[in-house]
Amino acid sequence: MTSPFSTSTDPAATGPLLTVRGELDVATAPRLRARIAELTLTAGQLLVVDLAGVTFCDSSGISALIAARNVAEAAKAKVALVAVPARLIRTLALTGLADFFPTYPTAEEAISAHD
Amino acid sequence: MMAEADAGGRENADPAFSALLEDSAEDLYENAPCGYLSTLLDGTIAKINTTLLGWLGHERDEIVGRRRFSDLLTVGGRLYHETHFAPLLRMQGELGGVAFEMKTASGARLPVLVTSTVKTGSGGEAQLIRTTVFDASDRRAYEQELLRARDHAERERDRVQRLARTLQQTLLPPTLAEVPGMQVAAYYHPASADQVGGDFYDLFPVTGDTWGFFLGDVSGKGAAAAVVTSLARYTLRASAVHDPDPTVALGILNTVLNQQFHGTDPRYCTVIHGRIRPHGDSATVTLAGGGHPPALLIRADGTATFLPIPGGQLVGALPGARFTAVDVRLEPGDTVLLYTDGLTEARTHGRTRYSEEQLRADLTGSASTTAPTVIEAVTDLLAGFGDGVEDDTALLAFSIPLPGGDQP
Repeated sequence: MTSPFSTSTDPAATGPLLTVRGELDVATAPRLRARIAELTLTAGQLLVVDLAGVTFCDSSGISALIAARNVAEAAKAKVALVAVPARLIRTLALTGLADFFPTYPTAEEAISAHD
Repeated sequence: MMAEADAGGRENADPAFSALLEDSAEDLYENAPCGYLSTLLDGTIAKINTTLLGWLGHERDEIVGRRRFSDLLTVGGRLYHETHFAPLLRMQGELGGVAFEMKTASGARLPVLVTSTVKTGSGGEAQLIRTTVFDASDRRAYEQELLRARDHAERERDRVQRLARTLQQTLLPPTLAEVPGMQVAAYYHPASADQVGGDFYDLFPVTGDTWGFFLGDVSGKGAAAAVVTSLARYTLRASAVHDPDPTVALGILNTVLNQQFHGTDPRYCTVIHGRIRPHGDSATVTLAGGGHPPALLIRADGTATFLPIPGGQLVGALPGARFTAVDVRLEPGDTVLLYTDGLTEARTHGRTRYSEEQLRADLTGSASTTAPTVIEAVTDLLAGFGDGVEDDTALLAFSIPLPGGDQP
């Protein structure tokens, strides 16, 4: 079953918390990329991307996550992925990106690790 | 001056106005802005107005009492009149807005809209048929313009599809190189006829005893992806000539892509790039991986295993990405299959997505597998998924035939 795609942004102590839900594919990834482009990140902040609700992620979705990392790097900020679904963990391992994106079970853990 | 002019105007207007009132029914009938005709029940024209005669270029005495209404129509119109119009009119007593073409005396065709009513006597019996005829040339011209616009749009779509197909073909090898003692086969399944896909593969001679191959998948679709696809394809092909180590070619491609597409619109590809060195009746295959789903090795005994290449990263996404390689020895009866995730992420009939594990299970146990038979089997799988295959799919396989089996 396909689930509707949505994103939302909430402020956290260390920077924006971006929550992604639904299928992240060629049709929906541009919306995530647009959301990422709107983020305001300052040096030293942490962009937390919550992927708990992501039911599918293909190469376009991976592109959007890399874009998030590039945006963070350009702002001298960091990025962390939290609650990454098992299938996406496998994709990140396969694509050699596991070391490249710090991952945490929860947003709280990502935030306290950043402090 | 003004008052005089007004008074004069009024004096002139009065006779014009009374002329309007005195307009005879006869004149209205003859010179109405539409054609009128009355026919007997057998279709013979009993009365026709000047307007319609003018449109058709006929004299009144050629028509009245001599011709039937259907005689004035084109052959197709006459058939339609006899088989549909006249029976319906008899049944309903009136029928309106039906399009016909009339023949003029000069042989030209006049598109018209025809409305008819049946005049009945006091006892309800049909007496004659009254028909009005409207000139529909403008409307027909408009319809033809619409048809022309539709034809144009269809031609344009065909042209786009032809362009996409041509571009696609330039991104794929017209034929695969022959490797002595081996069988090779490939297949490309485009997900859309309008868009160039982002998958690519090739198999080509490198030196006298070594062949190179690659199969990859560029992120994204369409023209933007095609730019990366052709860059990837030609960079790998050129790099392969200079260094025997396939991880070096992946490193060069990574640098090229990362320099060109950094920032908020990163482009990358996943790819397996490798070498085949045949010797005797076996071959050594080196596979270097850049974040691509693992190749499948189907042994002569029907067991199927993945060939993971741990540690390889996406090509183009990160500066200084790492690439690793593994070696595998192929014996007679062994087949290697490379594929893109258009296959493993296709939606199956239950709409759940297919997977690498299911692919392995589906290709396990088929004895006497060869490159052509495995490509055929997977092509059948794809055909079975139908529109569940949402992304382009590329397949490349090579095998060493069993002695006495099908020779390449």
